Amino acid sequence: MPVFSRRNVLLVLLAGALILPWMGNPYTLFVGTLLFIYVLLAVGLNLLVGYAGQLAFANAAMFGIGAYTTGLLQVRLELPFFAAFPCGAVVATLVGLVISLPALRLSGLYLALTTLAFAQATQWVFLHWENVTFGAGGFKTPLISFAPLPVETPTGLYFLSLLLAVLLTLFAWNVAASRIGRAFVAIRDGEVAAESLGIDLLRYKALAFAMSGFYAGVAGGLYSALLNFVAPEGFDLFQMVLHKAMIVVGGLGSVTGSLLGAGILVFLLEALRAFKGTQEIAFGALLLVFVIFLRGGLVSVLKRNARGWEEPLRLPERRARLLARPGTASVPGE
Amino acid sequence: MLAVQHLKVAYGPTEVLRDVSFDVPEGKIVALLGGNGSGKTTVLNALTGLVRPRAGSVRLKGEECAGKRPDEIIRAGIAQVPQGRDVWPSMTVAENLELGAVTRRDRAAIAEDLEAVYDLFPQLREKRKRRAGSLSGGEQQMVAIGRALMTRPRCLLMDEPSAGLAPAVVGDMVDAVLELNRRNLTILIVEQNVGVAAAVAEYAHVLQNGEIAVSGPADGLLDDPAVLRSYLGR
Repeated sequence: MPVFSRRNVLLVLLAGALILPWMGNPYTLFVGTLLFIYVLLAVGLNLLVGYAGQLAFANAAMFGIGAYTTGLLQVRLELPFFAAFPCGAVVATLVGLVISLPALRLSGLYLALTTLAFAQATQWVFLHWENVTFGAGGFKTPLISFAPLPVETPTGLYFLSLLLAVLLTLFAWNVAASRIGRAFVAIRDGEVAAESLGIDLLRYKALAFAMSGFYAGVAGGLYSALLNFVAPEGFDLFQMVLHKAMIVVGGLGSVTGSLLGAGILVFLLEALRAFKGTQEIAFGALLLVFVIFLRGGLVSVLKRNARGWEEPLRLPERRARLLARPGTASVPGE
Repeated sequence: MLAVQHLKVAYGPTEVLRDVSFDVPEGKIVALLGGNGSGKTTVLNALTGLVRPRAGSVRLKGEECAGKRPDEIIRAGIAQVPQGRDVWPSMTVAENLELGAVTRRDRAAIAEDLEAVYDLFPQLREKRKRRAGSLSGGEQQMVAIGRALMTRPRCLLMDEPSAGLAPAVVGDMVDAVLELNRRNLTILIVEQNVGVAAAVAEYAHVLQNGEIAVSGPADGLLDDPAVLRSYLGR
């Protein structure tokens, strides 16, 4: 295994992330947590857009639904965070499933427009259903507590986000290398061929939308806790562009690419925070550069020039054999 | 083996197949011919469940398949090699083939069938780690056929396997179809190329205006100038 293989590089980064709370200041802790939230968003969106090839624009809306559900359940029903947070993820997953229904009939630009319309409608609900959502001003969420664990809230939230980002990234890698990941790519590469070989378009498209909804919902819950504040403007079109930029810059159809893209864009976001307005310009320019000159994203450069960055659509033989338990392997049918 | 009776397909108000009936006897190669827009591909899509027939029956060894989902029909034993090859370009050859077996769970038999495909098309074994999109047209056709074989079909439907291939490669394709038939596979082949159809098929059915216009042994039928002129535009 080469020294600068994907695994080694990511393990070093993970080690860095684990000691950061003792090295950095509150600001770095905040940015770290934000990064993990964006990792979740980018990985989830990449499963849907990069792997399954569904050009959907509802990710920011599902992110918002996760944040609003988590926040409102705490404020309106006084549920504790750790009860509200899973509910937010579940609601976003269900919304993802519902959005997958038009996706069966629509593709390409039409799907993009439909999901964009859904996102705008969600935004409208956040703004105007004031009795529930508190309208344009948003609302404050309670400070979450990690008692009885002896950690302060920012540190606890940092580690919770890190844990979820790591677990869900590992999960995404395994999904991508499984029958499900191959079915996603088959649908992306040729829907007719996929259907003619018995790949159930309904099931796999619904699964892709639900998974991206789940990832966005988890991210939304964490985001509401990180900011202690939820407002409609956090989940607007700019947010959507940010997610899209992450997966395009990192690499469509690559979980690793999602990590790279999230890292780069969160860095840019923070670096340009002092110059409001330049963020949009910088992201737009970055998107253009990648779409025109570097279609496969950064990860394609690494795959070409460094060893150990491949992401095959199946597990290495050795691991596949370990995972294949006798008994489950030979059951015919589904 | 495959008995199609009174098959009717319409897209909205447009009737594409009015009343199509024909048989594909076990172990034979049968050609389905017809001009552009005569509904040949629609017949195949109706047989594999990609299009839901309005009426009629499709029986595979007595089992009714009409109206079932594509994956159910594949499990029953009908597989289709789609028109224009339609391989998944960004996947490797091996991934394409393995995903052909997506409806199956019998790992050991899948591995055997993969070997059988590589034996049939040795080039694919050499190029199994190449992206399918980087292969030549003939090789992509092999991937498409191999992918369909991975469903372990009893009856294989081939939609214009010779279309868009270099003339030199068409002969290889004919050999491959005959070899599959020697291995006891029943084949229904849709062709524009009458030469290819005549070279492989024992029976031929000619489709016109959504109905079978003429049928008969391929030898007599496809040599008949009247048939060629009136139905196939030759």
